Amino acid sequence: MAGRHLLRACTALRLVNQNVAVRPLQRTMGTLKGIPTDDEQATGLERRALQALKKGKDPYSMLRPMEYAGTKAEPHIVPGISTKRLVGCLCEEDNTAIVWFWLHEGDAQRCPSCGSHYKLVHSELPH
Amino acid sequence: MTHQAHAYHMVDPSPWPLTGAVAALLMTSGLAVWFHFHSTTLMALGTVLLLLTMYQWWRDIIREGTFQGHHTPPVQKGLRYGMILFITSEVFFFLGFFWAFYHASLAPTPELGGCWPPTGITTLDPFEVPLLNTAVLLASGVTVTWAHHSIMEGERKQAIHSLTLTILLGFYFTFLQGLEYYDAPFTIADGVYGSTFFVATGFHGLHVIIGSTFLAVCLLRQIRYHFTSEHHFGFEAAAWYWHFVDVVWLFLYISIYWWGS
Repeated sequence: MAGRHLLRACTALRLVNQNVAVRPLQRTMGTLKGIPTDDEQATGLERRALQALKKGKDPYSMLRPMEYAGTKAEPHIVPGISTKRLVGCLCEEDNTAIVWFWLHEGDAQRCPSCGSHYKLVHSELPH
Repeated sequence: MTHQAHAYHMVDPSPWPLTGAVAALLMTSGLAVWFHFHSTTLMALGTVLLLLTMYQWWRDIIREGTFQGHHTPPVQKGLRYGMILFITSEVFFFLGFFWAFYHASLAPTPELGGCWPPTGITTLDPFEVPLLNTAVLLASGVTVTWAHHSIMEGERKQAIHSLTLTILLGFYFTFLQGLEYYDAPFTIADGVYGSTFFVATGFHGLHVIIGSTFLAVCLLRQIRYHFTSEHHFGFEAAAWYWHFVDVVWLFLYISIYWWGS
């Protein structure tokens, strides 16, 4: 009985396939030589990260952070997704004691130890 | 839904590290059981569990990277570091066996006749099958580089052809070494010569088989469109491993087959 069902399914499939245009065996990609590019095939977080980089943005902090003078005129720009963010200041190079403080939105704050300026700038959560 | 603000991969919980550890336990204790009680059941069970672990763990990595996109550039960089460190550890593994060989052969003891090769050992002619094997592996290094460039340039057919050729050359090497082992005039039990020869070349042969398997998996993935022209780290890792295997053979050939004959 199972054999009869299988035979019926096969004949039905064959009839359906006869009405469908024959697809070429080799999948054509944008690159006609057959290997896809990241642009065509990357997916998920990898795709989002690569597409953002192409637009000059770095929402996933993959690149080295920009360096700022830390003065009143050129404060350290700290991107944040909320109204406050923790900042750890290494006042001088090779310092082992990190100065931690909450940076709130609004006017630039100064590090309680070395006085360099930090400003919270709102940025969207990447999604 | 909460999304991460970093580019790293926080891996989902997985049972494979545990099954791998259990497999290691069963294989080692199974080895002891085999030695003392003449039963291979426990060891065989451990081996099966190990193979299942490897298959499922690496299948999951392919799913996470290729199908789900978790292998961002920083993640890929970490994988590169990982493979380089692993190959470095393998270099040290072989270094030990070369140390053993040179320790025995640079100052041969009176038991060997004070000479190298030791008295009574008929060595293999380095200019016969071993030289052919050297040519085979060097050629496979060329074909695997050809495969890499084909992938980078988007040439699907050439990539498949050159990768297949590389694997066939690997099989040819293994086949020739098998014949050499079978027809060798000395065995592993023939003093320190036999020990150093078969342990060093034997582990090398095992690594050739591992490398060929890795390349074969890459061939399967390439046929199924896993690789892109920019992102194909699985293939690069296999190619690095294959070059490492080739270099180890060159050292083996020069030290044991040629200088040691």
